[in-house]
Amino acid sequence: MSYLKLENLSKSFKDDKVISNLNAKIDKGEFFVIFGPSGSGKTVLLRLLSGIMLLDNGEIEMDNQVINEFQPEERDISMAFQNFALYPHMKAYDNIASPLRANNKNISDEEIDQKVKEVASLLKIEHVLNQFPKELSNGQKQRTSLARSLISKPSVVLLDDPLRNVDAKIRFEMRLELPKVLKEFNTTVIYVTQDFREAMALGDRIAVLYDGKFNDINSPKSIYQNPSSLTTAKLFGDPTINNFNATIKKQNEFVEVDIKGEQIKLKRKTNVQDGECVVGIRPEDIILSNEPLENSIQVEFRTKTPLNLRIVFLVRLKNGLELLCSTTEEESRLIDENKKMYISFLEEKSHFFDKETKRNLE
Amino acid sequence: MAKVVLESLNKVFTSKIGKDVKAVNNFNLILDDGEILALLGSSGCGKTTTLRMIAGFETASSGQIKIGERLVNDLKPAERNVAMAFEGYALYPPLTVKDNIAFSLMREKISKEKVDSKVMEVAELLEITDILDRYPPSISGGQQQRVSLARALVRDSDALLLDEPMSQLEPQLRAVLRARVKDYIQHNKKTVIFVTHDQTEAVALADKIAVMENGDLKQLASPYEISAKPSNVFVASFIGEPPMNILKAKINTVEEKLKFEILNDENEKTFSIKFNKDNIKKENLAKLANDQLITLGIRPHKIFFNEKESNFDGKASSSSYHWLGDQVHIGIEINGSSIIGVADRDFEPSSDVKLNFPAESINIFDLETEEVILNGL
Repeated sequence: MSYLKLENLSKSFKDDKVISNLNAKIDKGEFFVIFGPSGSGKTVLLRLLSGIMLLDNGEIEMDNQVINEFQPEERDISMAFQNFALYPHMKAYDNIASPLRANNKNISDEEIDQKVKEVASLLKIEHVLNQFPKELSNGQKQRTSLARSLISKPSVVLLDDPLRNVDAKIRFEMRLELPKVLKEFNTTVIYVTQDFREAMALGDRIAVLYDGKFNDINSPKSIYQNPSSLTTAKLFGDPTINNFNATIKKQNEFVEVDIKGEQIKLKRKTNVQDGECVVGIRPEDIILSNEPLENSIQVEFRTKTPLNLRIVFLVRLKNGLELLCSTTEEESRLIDENKKMYISFLEEKSHFFDKETKRNLE
Repeated sequence: MAKVVLESLNKVFTSKIGKDVKAVNNFNLILDDGEILALLGSSGCGKTTTLRMIAGFETASSGQIKIGERLVNDLKPAERNVAMAFEGYALYPPLTVKDNIAFSLMREKISKEKVDSKVMEVAELLEITDILDRYPPSISGGQQQRVSLARALVRDSDALLLDEPMSQLEPQLRAVLRARVKDYIQHNKKTVIFVTHDQTEAVALADKIAVMENGDLKQLASPYEISAKPSNVFVASFIGEPPMNILKAKINTVEEKLKFEILNDENEKTFSIKFNKDNIKKENLAKLANDQLITLGIRPHKIFFNEKESNFDGKASSSSYHWLGDQVHIGIEINGSSIIGVADRDFEPSSDVKLNFPAESINIFDLETEEVILNGL
């Protein structure tokens, strides 16, 4: 039973259709990540959900009730921002308590105190409650901002790229900690990010936003391994997926991929028709070796760059096509760049996309 | 291309109230012909000031700057024979992208065909062939940055100076362009100094990295050494994503095994990591005193999972599991201490996580000074 339904949401600014016919169903308690490149409309969508911006068309349904016409404060949805948006003249304590005081004028100081301390303890900021925002580190500001968005136990919390402005150490700490804290509140989370790793680390499901709508909505592993289009595939992975035009031809137990006259054989089956398409293969799915392997082809080594604890090799086929291949540090030590170099593809990991529409053909 | 040498380079700014601020403090460097150097640090660390002194946009307060055999301290930027791509060192708006790139080649007396082929080569490399006839104001920030980089790469100069050359690039292009630019620089044997705040970019491109903080050079070494043998806690935690696990520990040398007792924020013992003393070099053991408090660092991808033999006491459980395509990040709890590990993409944790902390990957730092005591036991 879905808790939040987004049906045919649309929003334009003059002629610019930022959101058009967007649909999704989100479960109660789900960690739902909205991921997309900058300018894809992620923040606009959050504003529509929170009610600070009005829809042109479509329906937002929450707990079986259409909430389009509800004011932001009537929606039981709270929000935390990328730039923290703390009140500078209030101590962390009062920033966190502010939604309680705003919603209920008669709330007792004891009740406020108990709730502030509870949420502060979960977010490990009890020791800074008496400090003003300017005295807090960016990590502490972000935690304070999160505490404020969670204190009134909203049914839905919207988080707009909250880890964008904190340093790597805090970002990783929060990646590990945030899902646990949010589970304690049993709240439904809609989380916006433009970092594919953050999306994959945090999301129960990821919705990939571009062209005004969700193009894939699926678990991180499914989207990464089986993207619906080349456009989605390219948004995941660093380095991103290699892709090139080729002609494919099925033979008994092989698919022959012809890249401008050079052939690679893939020992796999496919229902894709013979002919021209775009072949995609992720850098970690290409095997490098100094000896020819079954179905491998020789390449020219150009350079290597360490990246994200792995080593990325830039190699070139005889026909000029460049490919990036990545290995672990240990594997890279087994490869001698001064010797002949061969590549082969992990057969099952290759993808075939339509040349025009970029849709995944399988 | 040429060698670049900095000797006791200093830059002191005097503020309006007459207070001296040391922006760069006694910087020494020998960069060989054809090497790529990254000046890496957060904003305000002195990296850009250092680059601006080499370019000639700032005068050094003291010390020497040599490019090739020439002392260039008193030369104007244009006389130093360096190619530059600086933020704010703008493209010429009335010239097309192509002419912007070719402009720097005009004074070199080479044929028009040669100019064209050089321009095309870098344009293809940086994927800007489709905008060669456009004017700078009509292209995106990421494209402007690529044009600016192309203009610097194409020039035949003694050294290339680049300020955050790839900060604006579209994320999907970054890895491949970095690789191509590195390939181009290596094959044309160019000497390059670039400034970046992004450790990923520094590690990917550079032969040597100079990590800076508050005007001081914290370490100058190859990316491998910076990662495997950091000389202080600052460098250790600045490099690497996920960052190095940094733990407070107490040394126990009196028992049969060498033990590091890991302490939490309240100084309570949580678990210990143990090593056979026989496997540790005598001279290393001699640097560790019983009951000494130290900072222990281990990189997430150097922790081994599912090894037959665990070398810690305590029960480890995985508190989070993030599958990221080419690798897995695992949060591990051991008796209340949290650490992060990186494993291969097909790794799945069991309820009782087996871990091995290899001796060669353990870094020991002084608790007070944060300077290294041992890189590897």
